[in-house]
Amino acid sequence: MTQNLLSVQDLEISFRTVAGEVQVVRDLSFELAQGEVLGIVGESGCGKSITALSLLGLVPNPPGRVSKGRILLEGEDIVTASERRLRQIRGNDISMVFQEPMTSLNPVYSVGEQIAETARAHFNSSRSEAWERAIEMLQLVGIPSPERRAHEFPHQLSGGMRQRVMIAIALVCEPKVLIADEPTTALDVTVQAQIFDLFRDLQHKIGAAIILITHDIGVVAQMTDRVIVMYAGRKIEEGPVSAFITDPRHPYTRGLVNCIPRLSLDPSDDPEPLFEIPGVVPSPSDLSLPRCAFAPRCRNAFALCLEKSPPLLPVAEGRAAACWLETEKPG
Amino acid sequence: MVKSAPVVKSVLRKIASILLLLLAVLVLNSVLIYAAPGDPVEALVGEMGGATPELIAELRATYGLDRPLWQQIGVYLGNVVQGDLGHSLYYDQPVTTLIASRIGPTLLLITTALFSAIIVGTILGVFSAQRRNSTLSHFVTVLSLAGFSAPVFWIGIMLILLLSVSFPIFPISGMTSSDGTTSTLGYAMDVAHHLVLPALTLGLIYLAFYSRLARTSMIEVLEADYIRTARAKGLSRRSVVYKHALRNAILPIVTFAGLQFGQVISGAVLVETVFAWPGLGTLAFDSILRRDTPTLLGILFFSSLMVVVMNLLTDLLYRRIDPRIKTS
Repeated sequence: MTQNLLSVQDLEISFRTVAGEVQVVRDLSFELAQGEVLGIVGESGCGKSITALSLLGLVPNPPGRVSKGRILLEGEDIVTASERRLRQIRGNDISMVFQEPMTSLNPVYSVGEQIAETARAHFNSSRSEAWERAIEMLQLVGIPSPERRAHEFPHQLSGGMRQRVMIAIALVCEPKVLIADEPTTALDVTVQAQIFDLFRDLQHKIGAAIILITHDIGVVAQMTDRVIVMYAGRKIEEGPVSAFITDPRHPYTRGLVNCIPRLSLDPSDDPEPLFEIPGVVPSPSDLSLPRCAFAPRCRNAFALCLEKSPPLLPVAEGRAAACWLETEKPG
Repeated sequence: MVKSAPVVKSVLRKIASILLLLLAVLVLNSVLIYAAPGDPVEALVGEMGGATPELIAELRATYGLDRPLWQQIGVYLGNVVQGDLGHSLYYDQPVTTLIASRIGPTLLLITTALFSAIIVGTILGVFSAQRRNSTLSHFVTVLSLAGFSAPVFWIGIMLILLLSVSFPIFPISGMTSSDGTTSTLGYAMDVAHHLVLPALTLGLIYLAFYSRLARTSMIEVLEADYIRTARAKGLSRRSVVYKHALRNAILPIVTFAGLQFGQVISGAVLVETVFAWPGLGTLAFDSILRRDTPTLLGILFFSSLMVVVMNLLTDLLYRRIDPRIKTS
């Protein structure tokens, strides 16, 4: 078996709360191959973002911690790595683009400096070399007149420009893994498309594996090779993106896919009501019951769903789902 | 060069508004003081132990106090505009000379106290913000509470009792000993020795404020998204805290330091009085008791001048630290 670039095994992340320790992510395992684009999909609060932070060893501690499992980057465990080693990995082997370009850049330093210091932190380069590199990166992410822009401060740039700068920071050390946590949620639709074009373009040039975290199914369909669906801290379905769109197995996944509104050009067409999944994501502290976490919102739930949580089982070649409907038909 | 043009323009605009403000302060102050009951001659006569009505009338005429109020104020304003702050009735010296001779000790005291407090306070705040439940963090909280609650003269007297009376390490009062030391170094050492207690007293009050401010500001900044970005880049802890966090956290400290430095004179009155420090604070206090109107007005005018000048300097410093100010 070839070793994967990144391998997450039985990951569990816990947070201390007034009501005791709760698990916000449990039994999460996935693999990421070189050059692959993996989508992680789910509603807000399902554990996507905290999973991303755990890959960088940045789970806020206290109150959070990785309480079980391993995160192997080329065989090296990130969970047990020293802070010094983690610093070498962050920004260099694994880097991250955050959701909020407006607040993720430091307001008091020029964007050039914020790119260059990342290069200086990981390579033994001089100030002027790092600055040259920063300008190159600005050019690469499609910022016009980069020599001039490098001297500007974040407040002088638009949201899309700032996200391009964030991407430049993330890619300056040519990481093996790039994590993008809802990178376009805060941006206009037209800018979103530009940013994703940029991601695709850069992936060809740099060849990094990408983990794309999003709740936008359209983005998943366009960008990713493989998809993981998370619900209430667990992985409930996994498979290639085509199967995810055309033949979702888990009722929750089906719900997500059906939530995409369709455009209709026929004015006489009576628009069908928008589809929604009833109910809300359970809070982590509600998850002490042994039932399937999705059962209260599932229209196909039957007796077994309320008794036992379904295991994640293979349903087809390269696909898995955690749903009793797949294995035990209601009788 | 192109970049500096708007800065120059906004500084010029500021200076214009400052001049107007100073004029308003001047008019208001003189109206208030001249309209207050009692005059310098009464105080003078009181100190002399009484005088004949003829002498009193003569004194009043000499100082122009027999003229109507609006004339007195008018003459005063006219003089100030020409750079003449008047003549002290008690010290028999020009007020400008008097202020010039007292400003040195006050500036020495204030700068020592304020700058040590800002430096120590920022360090305490930065460390305690990183470990919010540590002993140091609790110490900062208690210190600031105590510093806010304890009156400054009480702290001064307690320090005198402890470090001058019980353990006579530092002199009780004054700025120099009268033992006639002549060498410059000896003089400087002597002044420094006298400076410790008053600067400590004033500094403790400031320290309470700045450690608290630095702690709050730093805690807020450490939660910011750009700090998470800095950590995700793989920067060292030192770089995250001192380069990325501190530079942002220091902005409110600069603001308050500028404001407070402008208020030096009112801030130092109590400390200067307790320690008989020969500065502007003591002079102001004595002038009130002696109804020395020109001196008092001069000091008030000088204080407001300090406030506006310091605000202007703070503004300029702010532009250097925070690039967002330049364009707005």
